[in-house]
Amino acid sequence: MAFLDNSGDIILDAVLTDLGRKRMAQGNFKITKFAFGDDEIQYTLFNKNHPSGSAYYDLEILQTPVFEAFTATNANINYGLMSYTRDDLLYLPAINTNELITDTSLFVAAGVYYIAANVETANKISATGATGGAKYVVRSGAINGRAIIFESGLDTTEIAGTATNQKSYITAMNLYDGTFKVYYDNRFITNLVVPTSRSTFSNSSTDGSDETSLSMEESSASPSTTNTMDNYSVQTVAAIQNQVYYYATTIADTTVSAIKGPRGTACALNFTALSELCNTKDSSPNALYSLYGSTGIIGTTVFGGGSDTNTYDYIDTTVYVVGGTSTNQIQLPIRIIRLNTEA
Amino acid sequence: MPVQNYETLNNNTDVTSTKTLLHEVIPLTGTIVSGTYGAETSEENIKNYSHGMFQSVYDYPYLSSSANHIFDITMGYDESSAFSGSGNTQNSKKINIYNQFSQVLLGYTGSENTVEIFESDLNFADNDRQMKSCYFINFSRLLTKDQIKKGSFSITLSTGSWTQDIKAGAFPNGPMITLSDASASATGGTNNKGVAGEYGVLYRYNGTTENTYGNGEAGGDGLIFYQAGIAVITSSLWDNFLNQPNDIMPLNNFYRRHADGFSQSVSASFTGSTISASCDALRHRIGNISYNNTTEINSTIYFCRTPYNKYNYSSNPTYTDGSKIRVKSVATDTPIAYITTVGLYNSNNELLATAKLSEPLRKDNTSEITLRVRLDY
Repeated sequence: MAFLDNSGDIILDAVLTDLGRKRMAQGNFKITKFAFGDDEIQYTLFNKNHPSGSAYYDLEILQTPVFEAFTATNANINYGLMSYTRDDLLYLPAINTNELITDTSLFVAAGVYYIAANVETANKISATGATGGAKYVVRSGAINGRAIIFESGLDTTEIAGTATNQKSYITAMNLYDGTFKVYYDNRFITNLVVPTSRSTFSNSSTDGSDETSLSMEESSASPSTTNTMDNYSVQTVAAIQNQVYYYATTIADTTVSAIKGPRGTACALNFTALSELCNTKDSSPNALYSLYGSTGIIGTTVFGGGSDTNTYDYIDTTVYVVGGTSTNQIQLPIRIIRLNTEA
Repeated sequence: MPVQNYETLNNNTDVTSTKTLLHEVIPLTGTIVSGTYGAETSEENIKNYSHGMFQSVYDYPYLSSSANHIFDITMGYDESSAFSGSGNTQNSKKINIYNQFSQVLLGYTGSENTVEIFESDLNFADNDRQMKSCYFINFSRLLTKDQIKKGSFSITLSTGSWTQDIKAGAFPNGPMITLSDASASATGGTNNKGVAGEYGVLYRYNGTTENTYGNGEAGGDGLIFYQAGIAVITSSLWDNFLNQPNDIMPLNNFYRRHADGFSQSVSASFTGSTISASCDALRHRIGNISYNNTTEINSTIYFCRTPYNKYNYSSNPTYTDGSKIRVKSVATDTPIAYITTVGLYNSNNELLATAKLSEPLRKDNTSEITLRVRLDY
């Protein structure tokens, strides 16, 4: 008779993070909760078609070498394990950016979203067409300009994006992202421009055409700082119910929505840059530009082509958007740009 | 990005603390202490100071960043010692050294707060077996850690002349004797009335029996202070050693000056030589030092309990293909995730500590897992 497996308990040695050491030095070190991470795992290695059977599906995953612990707080668990009450989930929401709302979406150019520090910069970039036109730039803090639009939903062609499926696969499954948490670097960004409650994100039930109406306002929510990332603040932004549905019409729902299946919510963002970064070309660029970005760079270099010979100052930063319920996330590469000299 | 899914730890059922004592054997061979890194008095692993009050011993030439400080040696005598005299070399410094060790290790006595005198027994208040002239060996905290383990300390010293090889053999066939605190243990054989923690007595020891070749008295030849990591050895070991074979009695050859071969007895060295020179004499006589150090590890253990219905999904970007979960084919398939890291957080969701598994651990809704995460202080 074989022995029973007694390996149920596993003892792990923990190491303090730099923040843990700081809290210990301050005398307020108290652990109250835990979470699990799986950052090393590549789930693409899960082979459901392994010829040797199900015992071999995760063979490669289980052989994944695991790193030693990092002491930096933001380098340990970037993607945690999740708990959902239902075991029968086959789909989880994705967050996709939307560049299909042609007169409202801010388009990404050469991998970044351009936030012009002031009007003259926005006008110059739009006029020169260096980035491809006005759809690639929005003025800092503008409530009437374009915005980065993103949606949460099931990005699959296996389920139609009908209202019924929205209820069945999103709402009933508790995967509805009613809010989004937006993390931004508070050294460069001071506030968010967010949709008002009057905003809608929908398509026509008769012909499937876009009926989206975004009304933006500067956020009145108070940001809170986060110790998980240095210099980052977080704001919770209310989402808009995504009412882009699949109808058997000539205009497909996917011409309006970046989500292929049932949709949950949508949202839009613009950013208010630090006022010191927004002075005109008549003033010297703020020191932050040279400290964290670049100054006096010719347009052809900034935009990676074109014929813009004006020079610009810019700072690149990353904004993180996390679904309030699904905890899915996307990263938005932002470039705050300012006209330095006119050619 | 911060984790979004936490499980609360119950302080009453999920957190416990333990204390563990770890011991390491610390063997210090005499060849490190003298002879390996240059000729006597010019060894590169010996650091002398301009103030001349002690000498530091390293395990490698001390100018190298690889060198570790292993101990310091100094010596001194009480003002009432027969050695004390205003004409002595560094007389006041030798008295000051003795007083400093005495006040820190034993404390003061009497209405005038005079410092105690070291005694070679466990009662320093009865004023017998006093050791008024001593060598002091201060072991580095790097080696001693929290304390020296009681009953584990031994030091082998040559009682022969300066020129005799320390490997010539143990008494009675050679000059080497061993002092040990073998009679001390965690449950007895020590005194804890000193102000610097507990101490034990260093007796001459032949490996099995105390005082086998001592002078018949109950007292020893030194003390070992466990928490302070300091050994105190009486100078009388070299000039009051009864039953010593005549051919190795070193009365007049305790210290030899390297430059001209001038030699001194231990009493002459204590009075007429510098502290550094006397330290050289002792260092040259050290055969081996050995003890076990002690590290007291206080641990808090967090029981991270995961029921069957928690942590079966992941927010890892590769977990889904589009939106479809990769580890499932149909909705009724078992959800699976793999744990590689445990994060411990405070109430503000700040990551304070992390623990890593050696290999990914499968978690699904057919299993409950308890991970015991230990945080040592």
